[in-house]
Amino acid sequence: MQPIVRMERISKAYRGVPAVRAVDFDLQEGEIHALLGENGAGKSTLTKMLAGAVQPGGGRILLDGQEVGFATPNAALQAGIAMVFQETSLVPSMTVAQNLYLGSEKFLNRLRGTYISAQQFLQSLNFAVDPTAMVETLGAAKRQMVEIARAVHHNARVIIFDEPTASLTPEEKRHFFALLRRLKARGVAIVFISHALEEALQIADRITILRDGELVAHGPTADFDRDKIIAAMVGRTLSGALYTQRDTGSLRKPGRKVLSVQDISQGRMVRNTSFSVFEGQITGVFGLIGSGRTETFKIVAGITKRDFLRGGIVDLDGRQVRYVTPAAAVADGIVYVTEDRKTEGFFETMTVAENLFGGLLAAPQSRGMLVRMADMKALAAEWTGRLNIRAIDDTAHVVELSGGNQQKVVIGKGLVQKPRLVIFDEPTRGVDVAAIAEIHKTINDLADAGLAVVMISSYLPEVLNLSDRILVCRQGRIVEELSPIEASEEKIMYAAVH
Amino acid sequence: MAKPPQSYLRTLSQERIVLWITVAIFGLAAAALPGFLTVGNLLAVIRSVSVLGILALGMSVVIIGRGIDLSMVAVMAMSVAWYLQLLADGMTDGAALALALAGVLAVGLVNGFLVAYAEVPAIFVTLASGSFVFGYVRSQLIPQDAVPAPVGHWLVELGQMRPVGIPVDVYVFAALALVAFAFLRFTKWGRYVYYAGDNPVAARNAGMPVRPMQVLRYVISAFSAFAAGLLTAASLQSINTRVVNSTLLSDVVLVVATGGIGLSGGKGGVRNVLIGAALIGVMMNTMTIVDIPQLYQNLIKSTILLVAIIVDGLINPRDEQTAQQGDI
Repeated sequence: MQPIVRMERISKAYRGVPAVRAVDFDLQEGEIHALLGENGAGKSTLTKMLAGAVQPGGGRILLDGQEVGFATPNAALQAGIAMVFQETSLVPSMTVAQNLYLGSEKFLNRLRGTYISAQQFLQSLNFAVDPTAMVETLGAAKRQMVEIARAVHHNARVIIFDEPTASLTPEEKRHFFALLRRLKARGVAIVFISHALEEALQIADRITILRDGELVAHGPTADFDRDKIIAAMVGRTLSGALYTQRDTGSLRKPGRKVLSVQDISQGRMVRNTSFSVFEGQITGVFGLIGSGRTETFKIVAGITKRDFLRGGIVDLDGRQVRYVTPAAAVADGIVYVTEDRKTEGFFETMTVAENLFGGLLAAPQSRGMLVRMADMKALAAEWTGRLNIRAIDDTAHVVELSGGNQQKVVIGKGLVQKPRLVIFDEPTRGVDVAAIAEIHKTINDLADAGLAVVMISSYLPEVLNLSDRILVCRQGRIVEELSPIEASEEKIMYAAVH
Repeated sequence: MAKPPQSYLRTLSQERIVLWITVAIFGLAAAALPGFLTVGNLLAVIRSVSVLGILALGMSVVIIGRGIDLSMVAVMAMSVAWYLQLLADGMTDGAALALALAGVLAVGLVNGFLVAYAEVPAIFVTLASGSFVFGYVRSQLIPQDAVPAPVGHWLVELGQMRPVGIPVDVYVFAALALVAFAFLRFTKWGRYVYYAGDNPVAARNAGMPVRPMQVLRYVISAFSAFAAGLLTAASLQSINTRVVNSTLLSDVVLVVATGGIGLSGGKGGVRNVLIGAALIGVMMNTMTIVDIPQLYQNLIKSTILLVAIIVDGLINPRDEQTAQQGDI
């Protein structure tokens, strides 16, 4: 059977750094094709070239056997190729229906007619989304539905999903997979980019694996298992080494109580939550997206303010604090390592050294008004070594690094401030497998050194493996505390959703 | 084959391109124009860019931190006009200077406060505050467009000083350039300007005093405008407030943008201001010697500004575009 799409020896380089090297890729009608690989392996770039968002540097794309070139995502969409991005591309201040018809409005546009046809269309897909709702009021799963509906509405024959399940709850994930199967039954070819290998094994018909921009393995899903995929992704076998079962002896004893939070509230996101954090321990915090876990700890770190009235109490070493700026929290030794390194973590036009130095300049121990560039070099040398940040040299810009190394830079920027309490928010999101192990080691070392460590994560194996105690967050409050010995993935998930 | 233009531009920094263009214009002018390569003319070139350069120094501090100050020329003209008017009304020099400085500080603080704490976009805040300053001072505090400096005043004497035969403007510009360089390069708050210009959220989260630093930037630009105004008054022995309606403000942005200070923040330094000032100085002088009408000079300058802004956009692509391309 002739494939819908065939990409032949496609290449792309950014600033001379090859991202995709001579990759062949094809898509059949009515198949789900999983595209796997570590961060920086070239998955996004490859598919963006297909969707017209990035121009290929070499090779050719055949659509139904005809050579094509898409100058813009819109041109690709016209040809029936749609891409659903990691960060959704909907307009938040418009309604669902308006987003659905965005770019394909009639010259004279009647809102009521739009709503009616949108309603019919969404129903035909079995999507329970209100067409008159503003997109900004929708949760991640519903936004994704709208995005998918938009792709289907454009009669897309190829739909590319970039990390579609990252922000979905297990329930939503099931719905999503059912939807994928329905699309497949309609003859749509689906590209499924994911980090979650189990999902790929569960849903995909075929699997293609990229490593460092090169195609390393491809074939029917039946030919693969978890270990085989990981081996292909990282080029060596380390599966299993990362997540092992904990025993009682490996748990750290709680030290002094550093942080005690009582009944803090903030708007609708954080409601009367209370908990404590101890020295010399990793406190794991699990919660689904939207459970208020990030918001809770952003209050602790002074990034957002809790409610002025009935906002609750935050005690640091028995002293009540109410931070107005992060600077005050940093001065007290609290560091928050963000989950969103691109927008609030690193300084993108700057070098690795400058990023690390930025942390020091903002730290309480940096006294005096003058800055010595020699200090920056020494600092960079010390911390690139300690965290094993792999860059060409420390004058390399952060944007040129892989996700894992970027994350290490962001962590380093926090650690140079010599904190007593470190809050890691999703420390390994979008990080390659090898770097995950290193980041985990860094987190463990900090707790061993006696620091109070909080690790927010939505990846259960990570929570179970690293934490000395586990807090579960649901609907804006900490609802349960578990020991990693007694806890299991099922138990934690049960607490998080019920 | 669509070869990305960025990759070629990246290897040639804007700074170097501008420097070569400057050298080229200089060489051409020296060869073709008889009066160009005289000591007197070269001094005139440097002198003409001194005021512009001082304004550009203040502007660059603001722009590197991801802002803009459109009130600079109004502050420059009106603060000095008010100062000279107070002197003419018989106030002692010390008191008049203190009042003028307080006024300048107030404008800088209000600009900074509105941008940093009220989070109003800098372009609107400073546009409004600039025309307010002009309107208020012109209507309430000074009776005429131009205010002369009192006879025998230190400003007049300063304007006539020629140490080693070089106009005093040049020394002032050089000194302020050094101060700005030291501030941006060697002080903690100077470095904060770059971090906040690159990523304000990350800078704040890291614990930098982003908002106070923003206020400081607008105070710095207001004071550099005052310095530029004093120097103008020194060399012309008066200040004409009609300069507010001239192309001076866009010339300042022109110097900053052609020098290679990224308008999206986080990039550049005093060296870029010097290069930009050199280009604009040589260019304007050449155009005057060749006797190009003012109208066409403005057209040429604004074309260059447009090109510089477009090139800046190509060299420093920010926002969603980079956000998406960063994730390979």
